[in-house]
Amino acid sequence: MAIKAFSAEWADAFKDEVNKSAAYKAAGKGWKWTVGLVVEAEPDKFFGESRGIVMDLFDGAARDVKVGSAADAQKCDFVITAPYSRWKQVATKQLDATKGMLQGKLKLKGDLPTIVRYTKASQEMTECTTRISVEWPDEK
Amino acid sequence: MARRKVKAHIKKTQVDYADDEPSAFASMLGGLIEANVESRPEKQHDFESLVARVGIWVTDIDEGVTLDFKGGRLTVHNGLKPRRTITIRTDAETVMNLSNLKIGPFGIPVYFDEVGRGVAGKLLRGKLKIDGLLPNVMTLNAVTRIFSVQ
Repeated sequence: MAIKAFSAEWADAFKDEVNKSAAYKAAGKGWKWTVGLVVEAEPDKFFGESRGIVMDLFDGAARDVKVGSAADAQKCDFVITAPYSRWKQVATKQLDATKGMLQGKLKLKGDLPTIVRYTKASQEMTECTTRISVEWPDEK
Repeated sequence: MARRKVKAHIKKTQVDYADDEPSAFASMLGGLIEANVESRPEKQHDFESLVARVGIWVTDIDEGVTLDFKGGRLTVHNGLKPRRTITIRTDAETVMNLSNLKIGPFGIPVYFDEVGRGVAGKLLRGKLKIDGLLPNVMTLNAVTRIFSVQ
């Protein structure tokens, strides 16, 4: 059954996918920072309010993934910001997250050498989002 | 009483941008090099001594930069500029992998681990092209050391 995009249920499903991934477990070894995803509102796409996904990732596992406000996500060690439709492109494999960051379509804040060191882990996390069946508000 | 002036020797990596609005790719590479050199003293020597113009063209996003290393200073240009020493042309994933090459003995990048084999394989298959490689192997190694986050 499809889950509402960027809802609390989506956060739980995402956490489960990350923790099921052997590839993430290996690639994320040594990671010890929080990651915030800011999903900016796009009222014309029926995503009326910005949201923040706060991820507590540690040593190849997701300890907690929560949906909160954009301000909550902005307090994390690493913050990736993009409008709703860009995140949808990432989750539906229309946009590669690495390319998106190089093109400025996804805006990254945080220590660059660290995030580059964990490119493979971030690619696998993106893969995890694509495995969740999502109900998109602009496709109802 | 005699006064002694005490100067603080805090070295700031000099990275600047040639364009008023650096592209996201230019900002990312400039920021990566700046953070890398400042946090890893072993990279300082390469940064101080490297004089070269290095072009990087990312084939799957059709964007590039020119890194103009001027012995302790770096100017990052949007796009490819003339008179480049080396030009690297490859996809976004390989650009990231180049930053993940480990540096082995004598400062030579390691091409026999998983990341290194991937990079070498792309070079052999023509998916990573380096113009000006043969006369500038040492320069490429120095650039790789500055880039490497490993």
